[in-house]
Amino acid sequence: MNRIYTIADNIISSLGFTSEENFTNLKDGISGINQTSDPKITQVPLQVSQVDSERLNSEFSKLSNPEDFTRLEKLMILSISDALKQTDLDPANNETLFIFSSVKGNIDLIENENHPFDKDRINLWAIADKVLEFFKVQTKPVFISNACISGLTAIIAASHYLKTNKYKNVIVCGGDIISEFTPSGFQSFKAVSENPCKPFDANRDGITLGEGAGTIIFTTDKNHVKEENPVIYRGGANTNDANHISGPSRTGDGLYYAIRNALNEAEKNNTEIDYISGHGTATPYNDEMESKAIAWAKLNHVPVNSLKAYWGHTLGAAGIIESIAGIHSIKENCLIKSLGYSEHGVSEDINVIRDYKEQKIKNFLKTASGFGGSNAAVYFSELNAD
Amino acid sequence: MESYITKYCIIKPNEVIVDGKVVITNEDQSEFGPYMKSIYKQYDIKYPKYFKMDNLCKLAFLGAEIVLLENENVKKLDPVKVGVILQNSHSSLDTDIKYNETIKDKSNYFPSPAVFVYTLPNVMIGEICIRNKFQGENSCFIAKKFDPDFMTDYVNDLLNNDKLDACITGWVDYIDGEYSAMMFLVEKNKENKKDSISFRPELVNRLIK
Repeated sequence: MNRIYTIADNIISSLGFTSEENFTNLKDGISGINQTSDPKITQVPLQVSQVDSERLNSEFSKLSNPEDFTRLEKLMILSISDALKQTDLDPANNETLFIFSSVKGNIDLIENENHPFDKDRINLWAIADKVLEFFKVQTKPVFISNACISGLTAIIAASHYLKTNKYKNVIVCGGDIISEFTPSGFQSFKAVSENPCKPFDANRDGITLGEGAGTIIFTTDKNHVKEENPVIYRGGANTNDANHISGPSRTGDGLYYAIRNALNEAEKNNTEIDYISGHGTATPYNDEMESKAIAWAKLNHVPVNSLKAYWGHTLGAAGIIESIAGIHSIKENCLIKSLGYSEHGVSEDINVIRDYKEQKIKNFLKTASGFGGSNAAVYFSELNAD
Repeated sequence: MESYITKYCIIKPNEVIVDGKVVITNEDQSEFGPYMKSIYKQYDIKYPKYFKMDNLCKLAFLGAEIVLLENENVKKLDPVKVGVILQNSHSSLDTDIKYNETIKDKSNYFPSPAVFVYTLPNVMIGEICIRNKFQGENSCFIAKKFDPDFMTDYVNDLLNNDKLDACITGWVDYIDGEYSAMMFLVEKNKENKKDSISFRPELVNRLIK
């Protein structure tokens, strides 16, 4: 079977415009969450993780006119551009596929009837069209909107194309933005915390939302691989709880099956995982369900964190940017502290990371769960892990 | 290895076609709601949750009910090996617009969780999984038009790699009273239906013409 190498990545978030800038902030325990009372976003003070708009437009103006693109398109184009710079890939060749993930796309256009863009731009596929037009790419893209597991679904889809030799390179880009739409909806569910979220903590009381974009470039072509010991994708799976559209399973069965199937595809067992990057939204039910699935998979001993207290829940970007953080945890051999966690608050004795730690990391598992009952898990390791 | 369409269903504003035969015609040109309710009744479906669903989910749900009707084989499979993989163009935009109406006017601000939960296109897949206890791969792809090349390729990969034994797949789109569903039950095993059609793009294109 083809080896699937990661050769470049980028994160744009409240914590910076490159993966390095973001990861340095994670290592230092710095959160990008702040309070806003912006009336375009919220009726009450809201904790949120936002990309600096001035910086976004000034960085983007180096590439093109910021007024011709929506906020999300700018995030995605900048993210892909930075990732491409790290490679010698020509995105316009027909050996390269683009896979996009977003939950709400250009949802800000729905709230502003006087926006300057054409009517179709509200559609998710129109975002892909616009981004690919920028990169002069003709190849038909793939677009995924799979709630909170969208990013991992996109990575798993990328592996299908690479394993079967349909493409040599896949550029996976996911993103979502903050407008009034998403916060008001989660608030109506009483699922938003008044404070920065506290994943896995006894006092957790809801999510914090965030925005951003992330890109990972995968290849099966060794000629594009510059590192001696690159991080490779080994396996992944996506399952459904079949329990409730807006609440996770009480037993964790769906997530457990995703973890089990991802390990099977990776040809790995539960003793080899060095780190789990959890979903950890900090809602009472989600984190409890995750702890049950982790325990069911006999992974209680493995250090686990949630990065939601740094970036907020970035929806379609989350699976991608959190996987990138895992890739950098392997490269820098460190474990990022699970910010917001002080008193253990889930029923299983999972090993939530209390402090930043440097230790050898060869393999990690990334998990996600979301509305619609969906769950996903992906497995990455360094090439020389075995 | 080949996989087979063991049943397919096309729901259009004027008719419902199952395995190539028109089974229901919308003679009164009823609007979506009453038309779907008549399909629900005709198939004697009893599932109160149906009435809470948004239009996109109702359409997907009914299509799935029809392709699964009288199929005993899928029920016997490992639930983790039955997937639901759908494609559409307008995501959940129809409900997004409805939800936005509830937050637009600040003097009449009433965001509803019951509406917000349907502002995700993959919830239609979740509804089918919940109804049938399917737990396999569930993915929602977005494209301007139904793309049988893409969908057959993606789903056949999962079936060929033993990740799935059966899959409900196809196209379900709803926006502002315009809609279509083209749903296929695809199985590896065709023992229960000898005249099944191979799940190939050229054959899918012929069926939906």
